[in-house]
Amino acid sequence: MIHWTSHSVAETEKIAEGFAASLSAGDVIACRGGMGMGKTAFARGLARGLGLRDDVSSPTFALVHEYTDGRIPLYHFDMYRINNFEGLYSTGFFDYLEQGGVLLIEWSENIEGALPEGTITLEICRGADENTREIRIEGGRF
Amino acid sequence: MKLLMIDTSSQSAGCAIVEDGKLLGENYTNVNLTHSQTILPMVAMLLEQTHVKQEEIGLFGVTVGPGSFTGLRIGMAAVKGMAHALGKKCVPVSTLEALAWNMCGYDCLVAPVLDARCSQVYTALFAWQGMQLQRLEEDRACSITELGQRLKNVKNPVFLVGDGAQLCYNILKEEIPGLRLPSPAQIYTRAASAALAAERAAAAAVDPAQLEPSYLRLPQAQRELLARQKMKMV
Ligand SMILES: Nc1ncnc2c1ncn2[C@@H]1O[C@H](COP(=O)(O)OP(=O)(O)OP(=O)(O)O)[C@@H](O)[C@H]1O
Ligand SMILES: [Mg+2]
Repeated sequence: MIHWTSHSVAETEKIAEGFAASLSAGDVIACRGGMGMGKTAFARGLARGLGLRDDVSSPTFALVHEYTDGRIPLYHFDMYRINNFEGLYSTGFFDYLEQGGVLLIEWSENIEGALPEGTITLEICRGADENTREIRIEGGRF
Repeated sequence: MKLLMIDTSSQSAGCAIVEDGKLLGENYTNVNLTHSQTILPMVAMLLEQTHVKQEEIGLFGVTVGPGSFTGLRIGMAAVKGMAHALGKKCVPVSTLEALAWNMCGYDCLVAPVLDARCSQVYTALFAWQGMQLQRLEEDRACSITELGQRLKNVKNPVFLVGDGAQLCYNILKEEIPGLRLPSPAQIYTRAASAALAAERAAAAAVDPAQLEPSYLRLPQAQRELLARQKMKMV
């Protein structure tokens, strides 16, 4: 288990950027934590840490964003609106698992049963004040 | 007539050209799922290797599913584009039937299985006898447990083929001693096999615009499928 406390968006991004060094192709990161906790901010740092030059934004509408301009591709999902197997299938999720990149899944609670073995969990909770976040990584090899 | 087959429906990708039952050439890869980047260069290479000009292709074939969501769309788009440009027709082939053709020439039962994830498979059942392929079951989606129950009552041996073959074999081999795996050369979808299936089904060729992927629905309550293992994990 790894734990950090972040005091700003920039610090969350920095933490994620550093954490990216311990990731390799094929890793799946399942995010938990409520609305506006900083999952997308974490994704931005992660992309930078994976050596990607793409702009990172919330995949709320497209369901998945591909960032491929760099070292290890990052596939960034938002499963907020996924509530059945057919829906998940038609995001191409199962195909992305085989594509040799890192998957970061916001709202992974909705697809719990489809997460592969070895999935890494990322939990972000509100800390002591409005700008503080407790960030926790566990599961898989952590 | 020369037929060009494309298969990107599951884990492997490939293309092949056949002419009146003779395989002129085939390209096959089974690496990461990046079929959208590999399939067209593979086709170009195949045409070059076999000295076949695009215009000589009289008919196209494509595996239309079941299979990978992205993979099916890639194969469909590639074939539609080429066939439309050349004004040729396309033969849709079930991915599971194409897999059964990997066992052509061996009198046996074949159960093609594609991994549909969450312990589900796309499957069907075929029998080969004296170069005749008989379909014993329609394409369907079911759990690996149900597949086991179905195959238990079937006379031995049953060959498993497809990207779920090894998985199902590992889970079911104790329960069903008659299960067999063929050579690794015959386990995954092969465009050559699919092309032979397409030649036999040439009468079913359609205009490229009419091609449609065949997605099979899973029978389980879908919400449960995504939640089921969550309960197991807690
Ligand atoms: N320490 C912090 N780390 C990250 N974000 C923070 C922090 N403190 C405050 N915030 C604010 O929290 C919000 C995080 O937004 P972000 O889109 O990253 O969250 P999210 O978890 O992806 O949200 P959603 O549930 O809508 O997908 C931003 O408005 C940001 O300014
Ligand atoms: Mg977000």
